[in-house]
Amino acid sequence: MSTTQADPAAAPAAVKILIAGGFGVGKTTLVGSVSEVAPLRTEEYLTRASVGVDDLDGVDEKDTTTVALDFGRITIGTELVVYLFGTPGQERFWFMWNDLVNGALGGIVIADTRRLDSSFASIDFFESRGIPFVVAINCFHGRNTRSPQEIRAALDLDPQVPMLLGDVRERAFGRDLLLALVDHLMNLSVPQPVALC
Amino acid sequence: MTTPHWSEEEAVDDGSDSMVRPYTITRGRTAPERDDLTLITVLTTVQEPGDTGRQSARLQPEHRVILDRCRQPAAVAEVAADLDLPVSVTKILLGDLIAQGLLLARAPLSVARASGGMDIGLLTAVRDGLRRL
Repeated sequence: MSTTQADPAAAPAAVKILIAGGFGVGKTTLVGSVSEVAPLRTEEYLTRASVGVDDLDGVDEKDTTTVALDFGRITIGTELVVYLFGTPGQERFWFMWNDLVNGALGGIVIADTRRLDSSFASIDFFESRGIPFVVAINCFHGRNTRSPQEIRAALDLDPQVPMLLGDVRERAFGRDLLLALVDHLMNLSVPQPVALC
Repeated sequence: MTTPHWSEEEAVDDGSDSMVRPYTITRGRTAPERDDLTLITVLTTVQEPGDTGRQSARLQPEHRVILDRCRQPAAVAEVAADLDLPVSVTKILLGDLIAQGLLLARAPLSVARASGGMDIGLLTAVRDGLRRL
């Protein structure tokens, strides 16, 4: 369609990466540590109508809710921009918000060793939607008494899912997480030389 | 013709600090006329000598703010954040401007390949850019 053919020299192409995890686990902090701008906040109204039900059905629908998300951006040259979206803390909203998850490159799930269970839903969500992800164990309290093996077992992670330990306030850790995700995506995209039996 | 969703308006008027009902800005429209705008669709204002098209009576102050903002390309989410309006309201206003030829929209890159993998060239570009962070 003609209106989507903007001058490529003027408009960069965009991709997005989702930052997920339980409430207060450091999603916006991670966005801010790698974003070139202070995290921005935007809101969306979510209703039944927004999940694809016929519009007229929405007239009687009263379960409208406002959901906020924080996001940042990383400009990769003049041609490409990566947007980082911190997902709403309550995963049930993600299912209502197709625009948020559709077309994402992948995700980063942040977990806190003191309450790993708060990140279970994020992991389940990415697995169920087939969105590749890496796991960040946020150690900013400096007190991590559990081994990576124990954490992996507690999160029931597939062996190939990368898991990194660090401090999401640090830009270098944020960068390492994003690079780990991209490497993971590349590994998944290379045809595996597995012999068919 | 879309019937205004008054029940929705009651529901969204939940003590937010705005004194204006957001869908007033869209003249009661609650659904965008186009459904291809995403959070990361990038918008660019069409540079028009003399700004003749901007004299249209259909343009509201928010439309003009968007045209000013998108002289530098910006994603839908960024425009919504700048306007302090919900994404769905912003999309309606953006759709008006695209329909009038005042704004160009660039769809997000498609990341999935038909083969099931992702575009290695795109991933390489992202990785190289991240390494410079």
